[in-house]
This record gives sequence, structure tokens and C-alpha cells, in this order.
Amino acid sequence: MDLYEYEAKKIFAEGGITVPPSVRITKPEELAKVHFGFPVTLKVQVLAGGRGKAGGIKFAKDLNEGQELAKTLLKMVVKDSKTESLLVEPKLNIKKELYLAVTLDRERGCAIFIASAEGGIEIETSDTVITMPIPNPYHPYVGRELARKLGFTGNLLVKVADVASKLYKIFEAKDLDLAEVNPLIITEGDEVLALDGKITVNDDALNRQRYFDGWLERHTMDLSERERRSKMIGLNLVELDGNIGILCNGAGLTMATMDMVKKFGGRPGNFLDVGGGSDQEKTLEALEIVNDNPECDVMLLNILGGITACDEVASALVKFIKKYPERKLVVRLRGNNQDVAEKILAESGLKLIPDLEAAVKEAVAQSTSVTKKPVGAKA
Amino acid sequence: MILIDKNTKVMVQGATGKMGSSHLKRMLAYGTKIVAGVTPGKGGTEVHGVPVYDSVKETVEKTGATTSVIFVPPYLALDAGLEALDAGVELICLITEGIPPQDTAKLVAAVKEKGAKLVGPNCPGVITPGQCLIGILPGQIFSAGKVGMISRSGTLTYEIALALTDAGLGQSTCVGVGGDPIKGMGYQELLQMFNDDKDTEVIVLIGEIGGNAEEVAAEFIKNNIKKPVVGFIAGVTAPPGKRMGHAGAIISGGKGTAESKIAAFKENGIHVALTPSEVAQMVAKAVPQLVKA
Repeated sequence: MDLYEYEAKKIFAEGGITVPPSVRITKPEELAKVHFGFPVTLKVQVLAGGRGKAGGIKFAKDLNEGQELAKTLLKMVVKDSKTESLLVEPKLNIKKELYLAVTLDRERGCAIFIASAEGGIEIETSDTVITMPIPNPYHPYVGRELARKLGFTGNLLVKVADVASKLYKIFEAKDLDLAEVNPLIITEGDEVLALDGKITVNDDALNRQRYFDGWLERHTMDLSERERRSKMIGLNLVELDGNIGILCNGAGLTMATMDMVKKFGGRPGNFLDVGGGSDQEKTLEALEIVNDNPECDVMLLNILGGITACDEVASALVKFIKKYPERKLVVRLRGNNQDVAEKILAESGLKLIPDLEAAVKEAVAQSTSVTKKPVGAKA
Repeated sequence: MILIDKNTKVMVQGATGKMGSSHLKRMLAYGTKIVAGVTPGKGGTEVHGVPVYDSVKETVEKTGATTSVIFVPPYLALDAGLEALDAGVELICLITEGIPPQDTAKLVAAVKEKGAKLVGPNCPGVITPGQCLIGILPGQIFSAGKVGMISRSGTLTYEIALALTDAGLGQSTCVGVGGDPIKGMGYQELLQMFNDDKDTEVIVLIGEIGGNAEEVAAEFIKNNIKKPVVGFIAGVTAPPGKRMGHAGAIISGGKGTAESKIAAFKENGIHVALTPSEVAQMVAKAVPQLVKA
């Protein structure tokens, strides 16, 4: 779960990291609440990255200019992500900008600091980046070593090290995938502040992080209706721009099936993994989600029943076909209880194709010969 | 074969739960030597005729089990894994999906310190066909032979195993390393084991988008592996920035694409198949003497 900047900063502040004073507004007239005087910075609160480049950060010299800017900014959409609110902060005198983040490193299998003595940068393309593995349990000397490597001495070394240690503590305590301060700034008065921040909470930890209870709803606003429906029943749907709706069991097999569709000249319309051991009801809902894509011309169902019983899938299919008799459907079922599934489906007239490549080719052939558009439910 | 064989003594942690007990039954039916189940508070009972103990230490003392398959819920997995390590378990197979990665990182560090082995988490398990199955793999799809398999996926592994079995190409051992970004055993360690295993003549490596483990493995294969390797990468059509089912299957910041992995394989002399049946064809071509009549 990605958080908004203002939420990340609230968490930083609670963890002892200094952030600038701020006011969050959802209407232009609320700008009157600003208690730190003008000029100010107005920043759109969106979940997508790259808002600065998109024009989502503006400076206002007074209240009038601020309110005019706020009107436009509040309506802004950055990469499909709607502006939730504006964060207003005083314009600060910056002496130096840094980049500082904590994340998990796949290769090393542990948490790492990522830091740079240049702030506000594109961290993936910068060559000034330092990475440092973080031992568990944590000790503050690690933060001091990082600050030293960044070139700090004296009082600032101690201050930057302290921020690093606090950032790691937040990362660990809140089960984060990413805690990023970009930039971390040093003011003319040698104050160290988190000017902008990003936090990603690990989705699998949400059920044990009571702090985030009820947060998921307002952080999935950018999902499509079908993506949200899938999430509700614990499935993972990714929308693609093709016309072959895909439903499989297992993430790897679903990807491989999409890849084969493309290889044989078709266009996959989505990724949907129905998971292992899904029952009839869940399978039927998954079929409906794929069916409801207006771009979908043909549905390709690929189930390799290892643990998943083919007969459960077959029963869901029978119901689906009754409801949507016009829907073009190619089904590959193989494995556990395949014979029972064949019997269940015999009446529906649906022919099963046990060979995967043959099924994919059939779906591609049907998808390229389609002229008719979406198929609604039978009255 | 590697990791497990017909003599491996296996315990199941979380044996009395719904998933644990149903798979314990399947593993027994396959012929796996399941010597005990572990569920705190249920010691003295039985599950499918197998004795249940309260702790791993007690289980090791009474049965001599060296391997544990863990089915406990995600937030209990770290504790269960550490308990197994502390009791001297040599191989842990962690099936559980949805473990917070910081927990996994702690477990991985402890595994290294002990010199033990961890397969998973979020994995289908390990099978040495005809001898031993630990985890949730469907045993009937596999057959004994000389192909070693390593995979980040579950059902895709079954699909490819099915294609191999259909083509008369049995498997020595298949290892599902799991779909999480932080995990136990990786490609290199297993590649080396298969390279040193006299029962394995060819290795199939099934990767997917996300991270750079395949790129690293490709170079490792070129420099260290003497046996032919056939690779397969899932996710050529996956869009960037989207998690494709597995926690670790995501292209981020332009890194972890299927193209990059396939290119790395090809540059390092690894055959790359584009469909599961092509995997079987390439294996047959690489070691024609393996194809049974």
C-alpha cells in the first residue's frame, strides 16, 4: 500500500524525524488556515510518482495567487492518479539536499540503506548512490557509518545519522517495503528536515499493523472497478489492452499463458490468477470479472488441476455458460478429476481442449475473427 | 537426486490445520516418510495415523526427523521456522504464502547462521519422483528420471513437468524455490547441487519477471555448470509496475524484465524455450539419450 506524502510525513514526525510545518487543504478557501505565512509551496497529494515533472508542485507568493493555483491543482490527475488534497508548506532556505531510503534488498535478503549526497534525484539512474546492508538487530553505529560515507563530519554527522536510525526504526516497526526521504534537506541553520517522503507498507503485513486499519479503502481509489472487485475476493487482476480474457490457476502459469497468446499472434486482455483450490463460487465470480471487460471478445480458461479439482471449475463453468450462452469460450482443463469435469461439461456442449498450445491457438483464431462486441447476460 | 530421497524423515509443522492435514495425507499416500506432526497443544493426538507432538525439539528427539514442512499461518511462520532451526532441523520447506518479508529476512539470516537449508516461502515444495514429496505438488504429474528442475512458480512447474513426463523425460528432483522476493535457497546453490548430482543429466530453470536472479544465474551457469541447462521465463507480456500474482513478480524501475533475463540466458549459452512443450523438446534435443521409447 502506497501512502500519500502527508501520511508519510506524519509517520516520520511520530518517529522523531523533523518535518516542515504544513497545512493540508481540499478546498482553495482553506488556504486561509496557513499559519506560517507566505510564500508557500503547494504540492498535489497523489499516489503516482513524477508529480513534480507533471506540474504538481507550485509556489505562491501570497494568498490570492495560492487560491488561484489551488483551484487548478486540486483537479489535477497525475498518471491516472487523482489529486486527493494539497499539502501547503513554507518555502525553506535549503543549503543541501540528500537522498535517504530504507528498503529490502532481494539479492542480499536483508534491509539496506540507500543514500546519496545529492537529493531530489532519480535514484535508479544516479551514480552517486551508496548502499549499505543493515544488520538485524539494528545498532546506531550503522547510521553514523552511513553519514560518514555521505561526507558529513561534526554536528551534522550526528544529526544525519540520527535521522537514518529513526528511519530504519520506522521501517521495521511499521513493516514497510520502502521508507524514502527525497529530499532530506539541511537548512541554512543546519536543521535536518524531511522535505518530501514516500512510504510503501507491505501488503502482507496489513493485518498485523493496526495503525493502518481502514486505510486500504482510500488507497485503492486509483484501481479500476474490476481490479477492486478482484481484490475484494482475494484475487489479483491486472488489466491489459488486448481482447482475449485470460483466467488461469497460478501466477506463473497465467503469465506463461499470456505469453503464449502473444507468441501465437493474439492479444491478452488481462492477467487473472484464480489461485489454488478456489471453489465454485469464487471461480464463477472470476469468470464474471473477465467477462465484464468490454474489450473482451474471447475468454481463454487454462486450468491445470494439481490441487485444484477440475470438477469444481467445471461446475462453475456450467453456471457461467447458462448465464452467458453467447460468450466465446475456450477451455483447457487437465489434471485432478478431469474425467468428472468432462462428464459435467458434456451436456453444455463445450468441448475441452486438453493440450495447452492447441487451446491457445484456438482462442487466438477465434479472437481475430470476431466482429461482434460485448456479450451481455441472458435475460 | 538432491535434498530429499526415500529415507528422508519428515515432520509437518501445522499438521492439524486444514491445509497441513490434507497435504500430510497426500504426502503419506505418495510414500513420503512422514514421521510426525507438530502442533503446540495437540501433543499426544494423531493425524492420519501419524503421531502429533507439541514441539519440534520433542519431535526430533523422538523420531530423528531431519526435515520439516511448514504449513502454519503467515504471522506464525517466523516462530515456527526458528523453532525448527533451534531443534537442529537440516531442511525446512516453508509452504506458507503471505509472510511479511521482514520476517522472512530474519529467518533467512538465522538459516545461514545455522548452516541449514530453507526452501521457500510461498513455494510448492520439493519432489524426488517415486521417492519423496514434501509440500503441495501433485505427485501424479511427475515421473522419475534424469531432469533436474528449479522454479519460482507452482502450476507452471506442473505444466512443464507434465510436458516432460508426456515426452518420456522423467525428473531427478524438482524444487519450487517460491515466488517471494526474499527467500531461502536460490538458483546458484541448487544449480551447483544438480551439477554435482550423478542422477541429474540436464537442468531446467524456470524463472519469471522481477529481480535479477536469472541474470546472475546465467553467468554462474556459464562459469560453473557443466550440464546442459534449458531456461524458461514467464512474463514477456507483463506490464511494468504491476505485481503479477507473486510478491516478487514485478518489473520496477525498468529492471526485472523478461527480455533482460532471456537475453542473459542466450548470451551465456543457455537454451531458452518459449512454451512449456518447447522445454521438453529442447531437453530431448540436449540429451537425446534420455528419451524413453
